[in-house]
Amino acid sequence: MIEVTAGTAVIVAIFLLGELLHRVGIPVPGGVLGLLLLFVSLQTGLVKLKWVERAAGFLLRHMVLLFIPLTVGLMDMATLLSRQAWIICTSIVLSFLAVLLVTGLLGDRLLSPACDSIEADKA
Amino acid sequence: MILSRVLAHPSIAVALTVISYAFAQRVHRWFPWAAPIVIGCLPIVTVLRVLHVSYTDYNRGGSYLTWWLGPATVALAVPMYRNGLTLRGVRLRLAVTVMGGSLTGILTAAGVAKLLGAPLPIVLSSVPKSVTTPIAIEVSRQLGGIPQITIAMVILSGVLGATIGKLLLMLVGVKDDRAIGAAIGTSSHGIGTASLIRDSEIQSAVSSWAMASAGVFTAVISAFLRLFLH
Repeated sequence: MIEVTAGTAVIVAIFLLGELLHRVGIPVPGGVLGLLLLFVSLQTGLVKLKWVERAAGFLLRHMVLLFIPLTVGLMDMATLLSRQAWIICTSIVLSFLAVLLVTGLLGDRLLSPACDSIEADKA
Repeated sequence: MILSRVLAHPSIAVALTVISYAFAQRVHRWFPWAAPIVIGCLPIVTVLRVLHVSYTDYNRGGSYLTWWLGPATVALAVPMYRNGLTLRGVRLRLAVTVMGGSLTGILTAAGVAKLLGAPLPIVLSSVPKSVTTPIAIEVSRQLGGIPQITIAMVILSGVLGATIGKLLLMLVGVKDDRAIGAAIGTSSHGIGTASLIRDSEIQSAVSSWAMASAGVFTAVISAFLRLFLH
């Protein structure tokens, strides 16, 4: 329990530092800056993995919970968007399919370890 | 009504959300296809509708939970670090993959909206729809889009990825864990990534990498787009 609390404090502190840097004028959101900061700190050993591991695991396991209030907000936007709704939905669904499949198939080609030159020729 | 007054209290709104979420996780265990992000909203929307509580009132409590998305995004660095070694040889190829996907996203979203006759602000709002909410809001505002509409599009993309993303990838024969992670992270950002966390460490780690780099690419490409537009 103490481990999770302390780890959470480290993560929140890094997030706040990211927010501060963002306010000062770096055009990347605080959360993403914090992510980069924590990554670099882990890599350089400034932050030890075991300090934050349990807390990060806890936050990430329940990340879906944190998205629920925003998603419930679509309820209000349904009326705001009603006139353009079908255009928006069609373009989002089609574009989603394009991104998912392009990235997935490209990734399968480029990242898969089984994918040697013979496999590539067959495809 | 007294009941709706009670519900508008932040702690009650948080409690309602946590209970709905726990319920959604339980349902997800019984029916793996039922995405918690969708099921978790249903009881809340029903309660708000039935008791005539506005979203603004509910969100006074809800925004406490939304705030934690910041620290949760920072926490994504942990699986990224832990799986850094697995990715060492393919980092450049992963970047190329994500860049291809991000470009596809920008071109297809804006292209289809324009073809269907959407007004310019809506076309511009759709440019950052595949990336994580905080970046998307910023990009939308800078391009001259409408941030609220962008948020709706971002959430829709995320929910699509969390519900049918893996199924579609399976149908076209994508089985590699890293390719799945790249595709979900690039197309459906944090909501998609969150849906992978309980299933596979590698998928969610690659998805976090993809989500972060897709956000940065999209922000950079949009900055060029802005120069071109104005």
